[in-house]
Amino acid sequence: MKCLVSNHMIMLPSMFRGIWRAAVGNLRTRRTPARRLVSTCDGVQVGLADAETIFALSSGHGRCGVAVVRASGPASSTALRCMTRLTRNLPPPRKALLRSITDPQSKEVLDRGLVFWFPAPHSFTGEDSVEFHIHGGPAVITAVLHALGSVPGMRPAEAGEFTRRAFQAGKLGLTEVEGLGDLIHAETEAQRRQALRQMSGDLGRLYQDWSHKLKRCLAHVEAFIDFSEDELIEDGVLNQVDTWVCDLQAEIERHLQDERRGERLRTGVQVVIAGAANAGKSSLLNTLCQRPAAIVSPIAGTTRDIVETALDIGGFPVLLSDTAGLRESPDLVEREGVRRARERVDQADLTLVVVDCAHLPSDAEQAATFLEGHLRSVLSPQEQPESVFPAERSLLVLNKTDLLPEEQRLELDWELRRVSGLPPVCHISCHTNEGLQDFLAVLHRSVKTLCGDPLSCAPTLTQARHRAHLQQCFAALAQYQRYRDIDLALAAEGVRLALTSLGRITGHVGAEEILDIIFKDFCIGK
Amino acid sequence: MSDLIFLSLVSRHSSHLVRQQYDVIVVGGGHAGTEAAAAAARVGAETLLVSQKIETIGALSCNPSLGGVGKGQLVKEVDALDGLCGRAGDWAGIHFSILNRRKGPAVWGPRAQLDRQRYREFIQSELLSTPRLTVLEGSVEELFVSEPNPEEPGHHRVTGIRLANGSHPISASSVVLTTGTFLSGSLFMGQSKSPGGRIGDAPSSAGLSHTLRERLGLRTGRLRTGTPPRIVKDSVDLSLANVHPPDSHPTPFSFLNTHTHCKPEEQLPCYLTYTTPGVERVVRESLHLNCHIQEDAKGPRYCPSIESRVLRFPGRRHQVWLEPEGVTSDILYPQGLSMTMPPDVQLRLIREIPAMHRAEIHTPGYGVQYDFVCPTQLSPALQVKSTQGLFLAGQINGTTGYEEAAAQGLWAGVNAARCALSRPTVALSRTESYIGVLIDDLVSRGVTEPYRMFTSRAEFRTSLRPDNADLRLTLKGFEEVGCVSIVRYQEAVRVRDSLQDALATLQALALSTQNWRKKLPDMRMSEVKNSLLTGMDVLRYNDVSFEMLASAFPECLSHHMEFSQRLKIEAVYRPHCNLQKKEIERIQKEENMSLPQDINYLTLPVSLSHEVREILDRVRPTTLGAATRLQGMTPAAIIHLFNYVRRICFTYGKIPLSIVKKHYKIK
Repeated sequence: MKCLVSNHMIMLPSMFRGIWRAAVGNLRTRRTPARRLVSTCDGVQVGLADAETIFALSSGHGRCGVAVVRASGPASSTALRCMTRLTRNLPPPRKALLRSITDPQSKEVLDRGLVFWFPAPHSFTGEDSVEFHIHGGPAVITAVLHALGSVPGMRPAEAGEFTRRAFQAGKLGLTEVEGLGDLIHAETEAQRRQALRQMSGDLGRLYQDWSHKLKRCLAHVEAFIDFSEDELIEDGVLNQVDTWVCDLQAEIERHLQDERRGERLRTGVQVVIAGAANAGKSSLLNTLCQRPAAIVSPIAGTTRDIVETALDIGGFPVLLSDTAGLRESPDLVEREGVRRARERVDQADLTLVVVDCAHLPSDAEQAATFLEGHLRSVLSPQEQPESVFPAERSLLVLNKTDLLPEEQRLELDWELRRVSGLPPVCHISCHTNEGLQDFLAVLHRSVKTLCGDPLSCAPTLTQARHRAHLQQCFAALAQYQRYRDIDLALAAEGVRLALTSLGRITGHVGAEEILDIIFKDFCIGK
Repeated sequence: MSDLIFLSLVSRHSSHLVRQQYDVIVVGGGHAGTEAAAAAARVGAETLLVSQKIETIGALSCNPSLGGVGKGQLVKEVDALDGLCGRAGDWAGIHFSILNRRKGPAVWGPRAQLDRQRYREFIQSELLSTPRLTVLEGSVEELFVSEPNPEEPGHHRVTGIRLANGSHPISASSVVLTTGTFLSGSLFMGQSKSPGGRIGDAPSSAGLSHTLRERLGLRTGRLRTGTPPRIVKDSVDLSLANVHPPDSHPTPFSFLNTHTHCKPEEQLPCYLTYTTPGVERVVRESLHLNCHIQEDAKGPRYCPSIESRVLRFPGRRHQVWLEPEGVTSDILYPQGLSMTMPPDVQLRLIREIPAMHRAEIHTPGYGVQYDFVCPTQLSPALQVKSTQGLFLAGQINGTTGYEEAAAQGLWAGVNAARCALSRPTVALSRTESYIGVLIDDLVSRGVTEPYRMFTSRAEFRTSLRPDNADLRLTLKGFEEVGCVSIVRYQEAVRVRDSLQDALATLQALALSTQNWRKKLPDMRMSEVKNSLLTGMDVLRYNDVSFEMLASAFPECLSHHMEFSQRLKIEAVYRPHCNLQKKEIERIQKEENMSLPQDINYLTLPVSLSHEVREILDRVRPTTLGAATRLQGMTPAAIIHLFNYVRRICFTYGKIPLSIVKKHYKIK
């Protein structure tokens, strides 16, 4: 189940959106700034029934002149009016209009840019749509997305949702639909990697911890519902849940208010150097960043932890990580290093697999077979064969070519070209800098391709989505408290909704998992 | 008792009363079998029910009770589909109570202690008076299997049965197997082990088990269960136990009944007592004499023997309920004391409990191990996917409990009959019923331990309440399924129309807060609200009942008093149900997208990983919805599957284009 997170996003796109709006409503009654917001949008229909409006950054990531933020759904026009102070008329359809874009809450001018109004059905999705063409800096994009999120009825789009809506509106022809699966797959894959990346950090641990607490809350409420009539499950169980829910709510609220949240998403392409011990990975890192960032020595297993350095490759931001050599080791510290290295490879956008030329079999054909096997073991030790080394996700770096006779090298080159399905191959020598220029050119091409992919990283979008799910979670917990003494079934529904919302960040939680906890924590034997 | 005598007469002269050809044959006379046979006959099929022993038809093999939390919902739903167990419970109940009364109507658990004899009598007389249904005593030796009908999916076709006495083959279009614990069943007590599915009954023939495994190639597994010793009532000192009275006003299970057969004041109490450290000691000392507990077949986690309870949670006291077995019965059923040790040790154990310090055992407890057929091999119609005409229901599918068995039995019977009458099979969605949850869990996830219903298994618990089972199922049961009588249908229509009428009246009743306060002075209404409130809004208040509203507005509401409780529940739950509606619609849309059963997933020209192909090949989900719930499915795989299905329906017209268009808005 590696696609848990994304699976959930795709298959349950419409789940409990109503609840989220309810959540927004709740928060609004509890906080003053939001109330101001409603008045900002006066004269515009705010309720908008149960339709949902989605928004997302639609242009590519990386440094760019213009960024396009798109919104689709019935509240699009509201958003457009609120943010461009168009009180009376909407702009003429499909015509560019230069406006100041303001935050509906703070009235602060965020940027000046072009806005487009595409009334239904003449839009990509077939719904009312709006586009904001704004300046491409991360601060502006974040601010605009944040402002959109504060408009009633708006929420960040799920992966592939624009396409999905277009598809459902009959906007895509049969041939285009054929490609939909691949597209969504690509999107969710990118998000899975991103989610994994976040999940391995402090933020991920925090969410996992909350999810675990919520699971226990739900298990205990469910145990009380399903078993307390026959079993020794005292009311004390619910008091415990009350405390947990209260604490969790307070924690989530604090977290939502904290603008400087612990871990900022790292922008940039994640490039990881991996390979066998002593292949010259750290030397490559040092060569690339032109300073001795990592310790190098002829002793295998010198690098144990991840060494990170930020680089600029042809104008694209790259976060380069050096990892421990992959090998079986009796040393505990080194084993942990290898585990981290594997984890990092799994989350990487691009992996540089470094191989020591001197260790290749001298027969070229055998060498090619060896390299194929080696790539597989580095990139996907237990993956299914189909997804083995996609060409754009890895580069094969043959290091220490200075130690290889010219003739053997040519033979190997020729042989490797015959093998299909291998990623691009570069010969370099970190010792003599031979082949470095060619390698940099290949690396640049790969990074550029990755940055051109609008989905490879979209941190602001992700953050906005997390925020929405956390708000849902918070509101659902309030439902628990409201019904705790009146109707435990509805109270439990609150915890269940909270878990579902959080599950959209951390992964799906099924009924069986809850039952497992129940049977672990309680002696049940009707 | 006259019914019983007549039933035996039928069996005695079976050779010339029983025909050679039926639409549906149901094998087994337990909760699944009786519901299956009755449902098949209601749908309109000529039905034969074959049971090893006619007098055990409708017998309660284990606990003398029906319903409970989660299970009560199943009883209500079986009743809503015109099944037997709800009405039988109302007839035989001697102690009624609604469990979870204070936890919200969505999780109320209607439950009753039953008089075993009355229950059996009711079921038997009901079957006897069912048109198109014949009951035959006999043991099924084998199934007749032939080549499949090439027009339909499947590798085999079941065409009938042969009885053990070898008399004559009986053919049928559909066969429903409800063999319970009898499929390769073994009984355990102490260190002895004997073939059988229930004490006192002959073991079923090995032929059936052989046919399922060897001839039809079905995967089977092994499960275990157990039953406690029955205690002589007079030997128990009930003054040492806590009395648990029933509800003072018994609530019937059936939507057709306004009161129970048993008068409120004639109900019998239950008694609660606890285990002692002595019980744990006896268990530990006798482990070496207890071979059931040492075998590794999977037992239920939630209905464990006293042995596994004290071993898993040592040093605690455990509840033991002493339940009456009937009005005239001199036996008590000790719920929670299922055990498999030798009888002399059982006696030592129960005497460690104060109330039973000089108790006598009427019948010792024992364990059962039995084969079940892995239910992922079934369709949502409970038909074996590889075998045309074969349906399975009850413990044979890995479930435990009367209610779970009855629910499956009813649904298997319905589909067996529809199949035999050349009508398409029908499925219940998990979004509309607990029966749907039960069957979907079984056929798409399979079981690893005996499966029991809990309310927490139903995602849409707030919508699937015991109070509205009739509105959810009776109308559909009549209009689409054909298993509901016209009388019940008309009653459900009346209820639906009255409720709609009342709700519309409440919604139209809009007053300002001040006026509401004048009308209902006792009500605590928050001061800030200044807008108009409808009757529905006000009924949502915790301290407002429909009775209060009706006395304030007698002219428009008093004639709806019959439904006061249902209206209150409806008002409170409606907003939450509306929130769930969207998700329900999405799931139903995906469930309407059926996957062809003859797909070869391993070679399908679609981009799917090996892992996903193997999962799909193993489970063979019948709908896209079921496929999305499989563990290990990826979103990409679902989209590819979706595209493939759409393509073949364009190409071969297997699914009418209009349906596809309707559901996916394709131009």
